[in-house]
Amino acid sequence: MVADASDLSLVRRVQRGERGAYDLLVLKYQHKVVKLVMRYLRNPADAEDVAQEAFVKAYRALPQFRGDSAFYTWLYRIAINTAKNALAARERNPVSYEVDLQGNDDSTDMVSRLKDPETPEGLALTEEIRDTVNHAIGELPEDLRTAIVLRELEGMSYEEIAASMDCPVGTVRSRIFRAREAIDRRLREVFDGGLGRTEELV
Amino acid sequence: MIQDEVESQLSAMFDGELPVTECELLSRRIDRDEILRARWSRYALIGAAMRSEPVASARSGFARRVSIALRGGEVSARAKRGRKMIFNAAMSASLVAAVAGISISMLRYTASGSGAAGAAHSRLADSNVVPASVTGAAPAAASMRATTAGAGREGALLAGAVSADASMAAARHGGNSEPVSYVTPASAANVNTALRTELADFIVAHSEYSTPLMRRNLLSALITNEDGADSPVAGAAMAAAPARAAAGAVHATIAASGSSR
Repeated sequence: MVADASDLSLVRRVQRGERGAYDLLVLKYQHKVVKLVMRYLRNPADAEDVAQEAFVKAYRALPQFRGDSAFYTWLYRIAINTAKNALAARERNPVSYEVDLQGNDDSTDMVSRLKDPETPEGLALTEEIRDTVNHAIGELPEDLRTAIVLRELEGMSYEEIAASMDCPVGTVRSRIFRAREAIDRRLREVFDGGLGRTEELV
Repeated sequence: MIQDEVESQLSAMFDGELPVTECELLSRRIDRDEILRARWSRYALIGAAMRSEPVASARSGFARRVSIALRGGEVSARAKRGRKMIFNAAMSASLVAAVAGISISMLRYTASGSGAAGAAHSRLADSNVVPASVTGAAPAAASMRATTAGAGREGALLAGAVSADASMAAARHGGNSEPVSYVTPASAANVNTALRTELADFIVAHSEYSTPLMRRNLLSALITNEDGADSPVAGAAMAAAPARAAAGAVHATIAASGSSR
């Protein structure tokens, strides 16, 4: 499967003992895995912990990965199982929040606020990243925007995009690269901006 | 221009659209190039932001935490393996030491038990002669006493129990030309005691479980004992058992009283 060539290459390197290659897989799939786990565990902090555990488990099981399926499909299964196990463990040992429930209507909000570790700063940063990216996409030329949207939102391969846009695969590759460069430049402008916040993006 | 090509390759690799051979080379380059690595991370962030995935993990150093967890796991696994090996070695060593200790104790206990049983017989025999193989201070002292006191037949007999040469010399020196006609055999109980102890030492010394230090100590003790048995003078010097010295003194006294008569 062409779409997994780079993943498989990284996996083979990890299997040869080059752990640095696994960092690239984590960087690539961290957002997807956290989102997946959050379907089971609503709390973002718990979801990140479980996602981290899933990545560690996947790393340890990687020597047994033969490449019969795509790496992400395999990782997806591990993440789902880890999330289910975490959920079952939580049901066996529920965390008790010592909240005064004496007829106070605000108590439920208070519990949810205690569970939610997202700070206002974190939420603001997330919102800022999304706005910046969406704004940058809106400013892209039509051909670049179509190419990046088909790739990132529809998950189409370069060949499928080429067929859809009626252009060579090489052109699709170039358009997607230029679209990313434009968005990335915009992100760096916003987050660098003399405040030195670029490291917050990586 | 070359950098543009590399970044274009990076974008294609991120989408899994780069040939495997190029992926291999580029991924190694990313390992060394922090800028490419950061760009790879931001490509992931852009896609996540477009799909409304949680991007908060990007700022919280998620990948770094995973990396640290993996490193910690490797270190702890190595440490665990090391601890297990040390524990196994210590357990084996203590087991071997315990078995060796028990074996020596049992053999020595058995030997001393049979020695006690034959003690009466031994004492009876000691009243006439010195056991030849017991060696050590007793025969040497007896021989010396017999020589210096000009002992008679009993003195020569006592000395002769040590060795034929010693007894002959003592007899000659005493001016009594009557040859020694016989040598009373040594007490069987005492011979057995010495042999069993030495045999036990020998077995432990040559056991595959004995430690080099223990083996060396036992072998040197064994050699020392053998030396003592071969040479009465050396035996006298090395004699450590007070009982043997006491026995020698008794025999010497008998010899002296015999000569005075």
